[in-house]
Amino acid sequence: MDTKELWKNCLSGIEADVSKANFSTWFKNTSILKEEMGVIYVGVPNEFVRDWLKNKYHKLITKTIAGAYENMRAVEYTITKAEAGRQEIPRTENNYINRELPLKDLYINPDDNLNSRYRFDSFIVGSFNELAYAAAQAIIESPGTKYNPFFVYGATGLGKTHLIQAVGNSIKEKFPGKKVHYLTLEKFATDFVNSLQNNKANSFKEKYRKYDLLIIDDIQFIGKMEKIQEELFHTFNTFHENSKQIIFSSDKHPNHIPELADRLKSRFAAGMIVDITEPEYESRLAILKVKLREMNVDLDQEVVEYVASAIQGNIRELEGSLNIIVCQYRLKNKPVSLSEAKSLLKNNLRPKKNVAIKDVVKTVSDYYNLEETTIYEKTRRKEIVKARQVVMYLLREDFSVSYPLIGQKLGGKDHTTVIHSYLKIKGDLKNDPQLLQEVEQIRILFK
Amino acid sequence: MKIDCGVEKIKNGIFQAERVTGKNLTLPVLNSILLIASGKSLKLRATNLSLGIEIEIPAKIEKEGTLAIPGGVLADVFSNILDTESVSLESVDGNLMVKTKRNKVKVKGQPWDDFPTIPTVSGTEFKIEAQKVIDGIKSVYYSSAVSDVKPEISSVYIYSNEDNLIFVATDSFRLAEKKIKVRGAEAMSVLIPFKNIPEILRVFGELQGEVKICFNKNQVSFSAENTYLTSRVVNGIFPDYRQIIPKESKTEAVVLKQELLGALKLSNIFSDKFNQVNLRIAPKEKIFELSSANNDVGENKTHLDAALSGEAVELSFNFKYFLDCFQSIPTDSLSIKLLGAARPIVVAPLSDPSFTYLIMPMNR
Repeated sequence: MDTKELWKNCLSGIEADVSKANFSTWFKNTSILKEEMGVIYVGVPNEFVRDWLKNKYHKLITKTIAGAYENMRAVEYTITKAEAGRQEIPRTENNYINRELPLKDLYINPDDNLNSRYRFDSFIVGSFNELAYAAAQAIIESPGTKYNPFFVYGATGLGKTHLIQAVGNSIKEKFPGKKVHYLTLEKFATDFVNSLQNNKANSFKEKYRKYDLLIIDDIQFIGKMEKIQEELFHTFNTFHENSKQIIFSSDKHPNHIPELADRLKSRFAAGMIVDITEPEYESRLAILKVKLREMNVDLDQEVVEYVASAIQGNIRELEGSLNIIVCQYRLKNKPVSLSEAKSLLKNNLRPKKNVAIKDVVKTVSDYYNLEETTIYEKTRRKEIVKARQVVMYLLREDFSVSYPLIGQKLGGKDHTTVIHSYLKIKGDLKNDPQLLQEVEQIRILFK
Repeated sequence: MKIDCGVEKIKNGIFQAERVTGKNLTLPVLNSILLIASGKSLKLRATNLSLGIEIEIPAKIEKEGTLAIPGGVLADVFSNILDTESVSLESVDGNLMVKTKRNKVKVKGQPWDDFPTIPTVSGTEFKIEAQKVIDGIKSVYYSSAVSDVKPEISSVYIYSNEDNLIFVATDSFRLAEKKIKVRGAEAMSVLIPFKNIPEILRVFGELQGEVKICFNKNQVSFSAENTYLTSRVVNGIFPDYRQIIPKESKTEAVVLKQELLGALKLSNIFSDKFNQVNLRIAPKEKIFELSSANNDVGENKTHLDAALSGEAVELSFNFKYFLDCFQSIPTDSLSIKLLGAARPIVVAPLSDPSFTYLIMPMNR
């Protein structure tokens, strides 16, 4: 349905029924915003107009719209933002001579701390984050009931903040009455400490508990803060009891946050814990394309593909690299060639992961609580054999060290022994969840 | 309608309501003040669809009723009424008869069916001493942008932060911020359109006691005693100004307000069409010098006694922007902090952190 056309038709009908003065006073700057389940939302410039349309012209408006649109069930009035404001201030002599204060438009809404630029429109979904995305959508459908708490974790720069803020923004749109609040753990902690200093612990509790949706970012730092853990625990319980949604993000799985109280761990686990992994090539390509569209720049396909393949992992770095190329493009005002792109990015490429074999041995032996030297020894004690095999597996799988080299470094083993160990762990991982968890945890230690 | 009431009370009410009536609007009835007599009081109502006011005046009601009377005419009538005790108002055939001992006036009424209602605001509510709000608004509102192009800055921004209510206004060339201590301030954040500020100041400027403020994202209201004033709020977000207030400084000067005022006024005689005045501070030589030059008029240089520290600096600014902030500086001395010729000048009352004023220097 074309709401513009519909409103135009309605206005011409209404114009015939009211005086000219009334029409131009009350119907100027009005529009139909949307139609939802038969409810027509009429946008009005301010509350004076809303009150008056409701009191005086509601019957007329309803009748006119119903005449033009038969599926209409009701009419609602919503106050819209004035159109002005997007224009630039005209340059006068005064602005030319007088410097301006470098005021920046604020994107962060001071009421809820949400950045309105984080929305799902610009969120790329790929296999690396589809589970998190699906869970987020379910939460927007019915906040507080399905996955409460919602715990997102993943390495830095993979879009955790984008995802959780987009949930906040969507819920705010869908349920205008709900009070949403976003903050980082650090803010929560400073607030708490301040409230203790000023003897206002109660107002702190009230402040947070009045929200309907609380989003806490970067929760991983909670480890050492015992008092904050306790406070968060109580806040969390209040939210949970009242079926209010609470969302956390962290760069680690709750089980790996050091010194996290068990009661919090189990509370986190009661909801939904999902991870966001690194985007694969196709998703990286999609992300780059969306960014280019936002920036309104057209780059060669092969350049874009090169960036997507060269910069792996972190989305933030991906954007940074793209910015370098776009900047060059704007500066020179001609397309950037593949070789130019390569030379531009050469400093941004991270060297391939180079880990000394010794470090891997140390990390794994520490993890299994063994002496580092035992790994190199010729012993067949069960726990040592397992650790040694894990070392070999990781060296091969994650760091692409050759079989003979692994054998040589680990006490002069034959390369076939290494192959056997590698395949054994690889096979066991499929059947042994305990082992899988161990390997995953060791991997996190490398990051 | 037939009522009796005190002249002074209705006079004040009419003067206040008249300021709010709509001028040059397409709907003629908005020029009027609506008089509603019911119960034990007379209500005066006026609106220009951005501001709305309702004033309740105790009156002896003999017969209830409603009338819409052009605000300008009504105000003129009451400013010239001779008697000071009581006045009777009566509607006769849609016109208003005003009678005192010596005057008998008939004013033509207007049909009032089209007179709009005034929104009642529901949302967060709190009470505060009226003078605190007035002081906060008065301290900053002259810095607002006059043009409507950017509604966010063509307004006064009021928000709360811990125990402070903070008032801010800027036109992007200068900025004023005033912090007022308030006990238990509600979380608040509103942008009141600059155009509505003078009326708010006028209506509550003299009020002693508390005013109740109520706001939501579309509307704010102030109510006290028998007056209810409501204004639309700007639907937008004020720029992130806190990050541009310099935290350190390279040059500092403390001067007497009166001396600086005199020097600025003198400089103005010789300033150019951009109101440009030059400032030179050289702490080592103990120089604080204001100068200006105009080819057609002449030139001047003034040295002021000042406590100086830091690096030498030379810059020019629009003297008008500087002069504006004197009304918000109650102390005898003021402090000027600079960070070089291209960064904002920070002006504040000496040892009073509640007011901060930023002026952007001019390109030379």
